[in-house]
This record gives sequence, structure tokens and C-alpha cells, in this order.
Amino acid sequence: MNASLLELARQHALLLAVIAPFIGAALAVVAGHARVSWAISVLAAICSAVLAIDAGQRALINGAPIADSVEGIALRADGVALFAAAWIAGALAVTTIAAGAFLRQLNPRVAPLGLALVLCAGGGWIGALYAQDWLGLIAAASTAWIASVALAAFGAERDRAALNGAMRMLGAGGVACALLFFGAGLIGRGAGSLEIAALESARIFAPGLTLTGVGLILAGLAIQAGIAPLHLWGGAAFGRGGAWMMLTAGVIGIAGALTVIVRVAAHAMAAPAIASGVAAGLVALGAISALIGSMQAIGARSLPRLAAYAFAAQAGCVLISAALGSQAGIAAALVQALAIISSAIALFVGSAVMGGAQSLHALDGVGRRAPLAGAAITAGALGLMGAPLTITFLGRWRMIEAAVGVGWWWAACIAIAALLAGVFYGGRLVERVYFRRSSAVADAQAGDWCAAPALIAAICITLLGVEPSLLLRAVGAAGAMIMGGAP
Amino acid sequence: MAPGWTMVAELAIAAALLALGAVMAWSSANAAKRLAGVQIALLGGCVALAVIEAPSTLMLIAIAVALAHVALGGAIIVRLQEAYGGVEAPDIDSADKQSEPVEPDS
Repeated sequence: MNASLLELARQHALLLAVIAPFIGAALAVVAGHARVSWAISVLAAICSAVLAIDAGQRALINGAPIADSVEGIALRADGVALFAAAWIAGALAVTTIAAGAFLRQLNPRVAPLGLALVLCAGGGWIGALYAQDWLGLIAAASTAWIASVALAAFGAERDRAALNGAMRMLGAGGVACALLFFGAGLIGRGAGSLEIAALESARIFAPGLTLTGVGLILAGLAIQAGIAPLHLWGGAAFGRGGAWMMLTAGVIGIAGALTVIVRVAAHAMAAPAIASGVAAGLVALGAISALIGSMQAIGARSLPRLAAYAFAAQAGCVLISAALGSQAGIAAALVQALAIISSAIALFVGSAVMGGAQSLHALDGVGRRAPLAGAAITAGALGLMGAPLTITFLGRWRMIEAAVGVGWWWAACIAIAALLAGVFYGGRLVERVYFRRSSAVADAQAGDWCAAPALIAAICITLLGVEPSLLLRAVGAAGAMIMGGAP
Repeated sequence: MAPGWTMVAELAIAAALLALGAVMAWSSANAAKRLAGVQIALLGGCVALAVIEAPSTLMLIAIAVALAHVALGGAIIVRLQEAYGGVEAPDIDSADKQSEPVEPDS
């Protein structure tokens, strides 16, 4: 009986991985009590993570086919979706557990609503990754974004400045949603289908219209991913948004939007009629993001802002990798996206444990006061620097290999420049954590045990570069699955 | 089927609405005007969908997203008024700057 139920769940893994967070969100709101809601949320997030990871492992490691889901919501399992959704769902699980450490920051009456919004954001990005058509992708991404904006406004319970960040997010995200709708309409007209995978198989009779549509969709997602120079909302929202904002928009939101961009780019790059235009757009945006993000991160004076700008720089390299339009390029993009997820968990959850760490000064001596948070922030900083044996180093190495393979020497130069900038701002964090004494101003709030799994997971993922064979096998299979015959 | 010139003109109007809304949403000094800008941009998106004869489901999703932005934006504007005593972005930015934690000399 149990075995047959489990098998049924595995057959509908995609659908269940998407709806489990939303069911959990509804139950969390109904439960009403903060701790009960948290327990329900953790259970729902773990269910989603187990299903998504199982589907990814079956398809990418064992090579078993995953059936598309057609029960009301059209879902499709391509390589990027299977790989990225597994990690996003995993990140949702550890951040939901970590949210237990920050429950007391919210009014007990609204804490269940906060947890529900975290789950909606996670479920939304997982849905956007699995979506079969533009309709589902836009609906899911918009749901995730609106949930993140609402959570940013929740930060006003502690600091009214969070409202300013939420308003900026709403302004930027609203325009992003309009771009997504406009783009989907143009693609539907130009390619004759609203299916995402149809881009590569359909005969595109209006390449200009389709290219404009894909460009608008990528621009809308780039705004939501906080890619420079479209990250108008990043500084204000992350700087004073508080722990809940960092958990959702920081960890889930940036990674979710970025991996959806990689998925859309992979499908578009497989369509010969529009591939060169999409590649040019991605390369231009990626190079600008790497440059501006690095410069802003060097000048940042708070950990959340530094992290947000640093991720914009790292995301630039992901876009350049995706623009290569090859299996190796998509694999490099996925490894770097995973590196961003691990660094985001380490830095944002580490910062939230330190009470938001609005000033870099608050990090002084964290290594002695809160050893686990200090180790996680250091792991995150080493990830930003691309230190050897970290997953960022692995991803950047794969990117340089793939870029040099097609003669893109300049892309290799941008990757190296972004790493050198990372040494500067990442090194500053390590120096503060371990080589400075804490002062009275920076006396920290004690961390909660709930945040420990997230911090440990971040350290482990960052160190995946030590033994990456399984990871490389998975990203290789993901690239091969989505790019088909491309080399 | 290649788009005719009337459709191109209608799409241009939709794009102009989207661009106007984006400029308003990103550069207005008043939070309510920013929200109005978002709505104009989303209206541009809806017009484009109507011109292109997109599926009604996509139109419905666009309308739902626009309504969600109005509801959430309205709530944030009310809270901004309560917290800062106004909804002018320069005043809010300057109040936030004053309360920004200062990095001590080291």
C-alpha cells in the first residue's frame, strides 16, 4: 500500500513538488499559531525538496525518463528545470527551517502569513522552472515575486526603511511583469506557439518579433534576479529588508530567477533563427552586470548590500556562460548558479543570524562570538572569491574552458576580472570575521539552532568542489538533455 | 503570418504605454505615482496581449497580476504614510539615510 502510494507520488513528482509549498502555505495560515505554522511549513518544504531531488536524481543520474504533467497545470521536465528545481526546493527547505530562528522578529499573529509567503515564493520559482509554457512560467514567477514584495514589507515590523525597499521592489517588479506579458505575446505571435520548448522545434516565421519577445522576457527576469544595471530595487530592499527578506528574495528569489533565465536562454539558443541575437543580448547584459556588480560590491558598507551586488557580478558570468549556447556552457552556468545558491544561503542566513548585520562593523570577531555563522560567512566569502576547491572555482573553470573552446577569450578575461574583484570584497569579509576584535557596538544577537542546517548545508555545498564528479555528471546530463545535439 | 501595419501601430502604442509606465514607476517622486506607473506599464502589456490575440488565460493572469500590484502597492503606500508621514520618495530616502547605521572608524 505504502509502496504503491510512494510510486504514485514519484509518477506525479513534478506536480507535487510545485503544489506542496502552496498547500503548506494554506495550512500554515489556517493553523494560526506561529510554531505550528512553522512545523507545517517545514514539512511542506521538505516534501517538495524530496520529490524534486528524487526526480532530478532519477533523470540526471540514472537516466530514467520523467513524464510530463498535464493534470491542470502543464509541466515539463527538461534538464535545467530538473537540476535547478531540485536545488531551489532544497534551498527552500533549509531556509524554511532557518525561518524558525526569526519568528520572533514578527508579530505572532502575522508570523504564519510570513511563513506562507516564503513557501509561495519558493513554490512559485519551482513552478516557473517546471512550466511547460510561457503562461505557466509568467504566472508562477509573478506569484513568487509578489510574495517576495509582501515579505519585504513585513520587515517594517522592525525597521520602517523596509517599506521603502518594498515599494522599490513593487515598482521594478511591476514593470518586469509587464515585460513578461508583452514578451510572451510577441513570442506567441512570432513562433506560433506558447510552449517554451517549441522555440527550438517550431519554424519561426517572424524571427524579429520572436527575438524581441525573448529579449523582453529575459529583461523582465533579469530585473527580478537583481542583475545589474536592472537591480534598481536591490540596495534598498536588501540593505534594510531584514531576515525574512533575505531568506526569500535573497536566497530563493535571486537563484530562482537566475535559473529560469538559464532555462529560457537554453531553449532560445537552440533556435537557429534567434540564437545569435539572444547570445548578443545575454553577453552584453552579463558583461555589464559583472562590471557594475563588482564595483558596487567593492564599495558596499553592509553585508546584505555587498552580497546582493556580488551576486549581480556572479550572475553576469552565469549569463555569459548561458550565451555560449553549448552543453558545456549550460553546464558551467548551472554550476555557477549552484555556487550563488550556496553563497546566498551562507551570507544571507549568516547575516540574518547576526541580527541583519546592517553594518560590516557588526561582523568584527564573529568567528569567535558565533563560530558556525562565522564559518558560513567565510565559506560564502570564499565562494565569492572563487577560492580553489570551492564550487565557484569549479564553475568559473568550466566557464573559461567552454569560452576558450569557442574562441571567446574576452569572456575568460571577464570571468577572471570578476574573480579578482571577488578576492577584494570577499577578503574583506574574512578579515572582519576572524582578524578583528568585536566591539560593544557590534555585540551580536545569539544565533538560533534553527539556522544551523542552512549554514551547514551552505558550507557543504561550497566545498562540493573538492569531489565534484557526481555534480559534473548531473550538470552534464542536464546540458545534454536541454541542448539536444548541440556540442 | 506576418503582422500588418495596423497591428504594428497598435503594438507601438502598447510599447509606448509600457515605456511611459516604466519611466513613471522608476523615476516619480511620489509613491502613488509610482504605483500608477506600474499600472500603466501592465496596461501596456495587456494591450499588447489583446492586439496579438493571446489566449484569454494569459489576459486573465495579466489582469490578476495588475490587481495584486494595486492591492499590495496600496497597502504599502498606506504604511509609508503612517511610518513617514508622507509618500514623497526624496523625503523617505533622506529619512532612511539619517537612520542608516554609521560605520565606526577603525
